[in-house]
Amino acid sequence: MTDHDPLSRAREDEWLVVRCQLGERDAFDALIERWHDPIWRYVRRITGDDQAANDLVQDLWLRVLRGIHRLRDGSKLRAWLFGIARHALMDRWRDKYAAGAVSDVDLTDLPADEVDLGRQEDLEAMEHELARLPVVEREVLTLFYLRELSLAEVSEVLAVPVGTVKSRLFRARQLLRRELESKGGHV
Amino acid sequence: MTSAGNSPQPIPDPRAKAALHRLVAAELSLPSRLGYVALLLAASMMTTVIGALWITEPALRPRTQLAFAVMMVIGLAWVVFAIWALTHRRPLLAGHAIVAGRLALTFTSLFLIGAAIAARTAGGVAPYVAAGVGVMMVAAAAGLLWRAHATSTRLLERRAVLEREIGTKGR
Repeated sequence: MTDHDPLSRAREDEWLVVRCQLGERDAFDALIERWHDPIWRYVRRITGDDQAANDLVQDLWLRVLRGIHRLRDGSKLRAWLFGIARHALMDRWRDKYAAGAVSDVDLTDLPADEVDLGRQEDLEAMEHELARLPVVEREVLTLFYLRELSLAEVSEVLAVPVGTVKSRLFRARQLLRRELESKGGHV
Repeated sequence: MTSAGNSPQPIPDPRAKAALHRLVAAELSLPSRLGYVALLLAASMMTTVIGALWITEPALRPRTQLAFAVMMVIGLAWVVFAIWALTHRRPLLAGHAIVAGRLALTFTSLFLIGAAIAARTAGGVAPYVAAGVGVMMVAAAAGLLWRAHATSTRLLERRAVLEREIGTKGR
């Protein structure tokens, strides 16, 4: 499958979704091949545990099987899948997540891409330090930078306004910067 | 939760993915879905026959009425369970829905024919009541089959458009 630009990716996702909705077995296999690893890494990043990630991802795919016929716009598969992953995570950690929730400051006009995190080495350094962040910050950074979801998609996945996503990203980057600076790195 | 991110690049276990493929195969199997369709049809027809007898038979003994009531409750419980399973656990995808629709139309039509024959030969009110409900079931089955074809057609058209756009034809 080609995987060049977001538009091609969205079309290919929709193509797979349509075939799944038709009931084609190999389309489900292709969907798993395409999305299992990115979702597993996202869940693994948040849970920090291989077995928990395996269990949650299995639960997620069951939810996908049972809900894909209701997905109206297949091009939004990416956000839909990560949204389900997040629901599965929240179901598992509802209490912990509530305890870790932070109040969102109003930073709706904050540019989200103010920091250049484009270089691979930066991403890898960030992955190392992500583990030290609270779950809310880890989640938003993982979705935005490592899974490369757009602000709108992250907003959809987290079920919060775009402004809240920006404020969480802002806070997460501050925390991450402190972590990296304390180790002599940079963001 | 264990400590997060012990490894910078966690690697998914290929065995977990293989297990997922098996899980999908089991979840998508047509017989498992059609089983619920068959359950729904059988329970609906049984409940219809019992209900028709119950409301049309004159002077039933109290314990016979109680037995009918219990059987109605059991039948309706199976109907509700089958509907729940088909909407939540094993929803019918477009291809499955067409097969299920044909199955439903065939069996509800046979039920209607049977009730009509009973009405002509055996007499009484019960077969007419059953035939009346049978007409509604045939109409519902025909409606579901029509909707399944419409959904399938829409999806096939969309698939063709997408295949032209991304050049997947023949892959």
